[in-house]
Amino acid sequence: MRRRIFAAVVLVCMWSTFVLAVAQTNAKRSQNDSKSKPSDAATGSQTDGGKLFQANCGRCHNPPESISPREARAVVRHMRVRAMLSAEDEKLILKFLAP
Amino acid sequence: MGARVLLAFTLALFGLSSASAQSDTPILSGGAGFFSATQGDTTFFQPVVAPVLVVPLGEKWLVESRADLRGFISRENGSTGPYQGQFFGTLEYLQLDYNANSHLTITAGRFLTPFGIFNERISAIWINKFQDAPAMAAIGIAGGYSDGFMLRGALISNDRYVVNYTTYFSTLSTVNKFESERTFGARLGVFLPRLGLEVGTSYQRKLQDQRMNSVGTHLSWTPPGLPAEVKGEWAHSLSGHGYWIQGGYRLSQFGGPDSAIGRLEPVFRMQQFFRSRLIAGDSLPSTNVRRPEFGLNYYLPREVRLNASYGRQFISQSTDVNVWEFGITYRFLFPLLPGESK
Repeated sequence: MRRRIFAAVVLVCMWSTFVLAVAQTNAKRSQNDSKSKPSDAATGSQTDGGKLFQANCGRCHNPPESISPREARAVVRHMRVRAMLSAEDEKLILKFLAP
Repeated sequence: MGARVLLAFTLALFGLSSASAQSDTPILSGGAGFFSATQGDTTFFQPVVAPVLVVPLGEKWLVESRADLRGFISRENGSTGPYQGQFFGTLEYLQLDYNANSHLTITAGRFLTPFGIFNERISAIWINKFQDAPAMAAIGIAGGYSDGFMLRGALISNDRYVVNYTTYFSTLSTVNKFESERTFGARLGVFLPRLGLEVGTSYQRKLQDQRMNSVGTHLSWTPPGLPAEVKGEWAHSLSGHGYWIQGGYRLSQFGGPDSAIGRLEPVFRMQQFFRSRLIAGDSLPSTNVRRPEFGLNYYLPREVRLNASYGRQFISQSTDVNVWEFGITYRFLFPLLPGESK
């Protein structure tokens, strides 16, 4: 039993180290991405709305591949309730999705 | 009768939505999937469709609904005999939301019980990294659904931290498809956007039958700029206590999210439940359970995801079993009214 716990701890530590190393190596690459597709927000959009979208949407799920401006309003209203967004954040995210 | 009322209600909503601004286009979203699971020598299959309807009504009002239409196909005697199927339809939520102000949304109707993070945020089939819910996720959610009213919103919101809250009251309902328990509960969370970290605590008081309190804490961490996440919950009630913690890392930093490797997402989950007292109908395992699981998700284009996972379930006073799960999910989103797509 102790061996198993030890092995699990070692695996978790190795995994964390690997993730952090990859993150540092690729940080600059993701910062330079400025596309406005929702799925691109995952790699670090520079707009406030994009950041908010990623921070709040990404808390629960991967961003969708695309959202048309016609769908954006309903999506953001739904998200406001689910993610408990303020009205200001809702406006910024809507501006990002349907500029 | 219930179906007719729902249909009439839906048509009325479409009428109202059509009459409002063009930007208030209702949407149909959700997921469809097909899952298979083998526990020991028992295999079963589940075709699922879980549509989400969202109808904005002007600036302040919103109607949201999600159903779960699911088949359960298994052999007649568990591991032998011909396959047979049963089909279930569940109305998971049908709620009317009113955005009273920047910090308060008032919800009435049937809603997902807000305890912890699994039931309300992760249970959708296209979100959940694993096919099934953690065993202890049944603590504090009173069957998963509540009929009543809820207040929720962000008490404080700035770019450094967000304090969010939810409080609700649910009434006892025995109406078919609208069953719920008489409960009261609340959840408080603090979200740090710059760190992608949220921690929170939940409470529920059951106000019928075996009256009891449930308490829990949750954690969610999605590091900014990194396609990884860690989520977990711990909860305690009179029935017992338990936890689950899961992590996932999308390999999109190897050649981009659309590369063959970048579409892969290894995931891990550990869960344990410790039974304290047998309480009928609490939807929790009857004995102590421990299950580590490893999985691999593969994100295909067009919102299709393949899932595969292996877990070993250790059960007190019973034989341990292997759990293999495979599945495919499709996430959809489209407007429900005709119009130009810009």
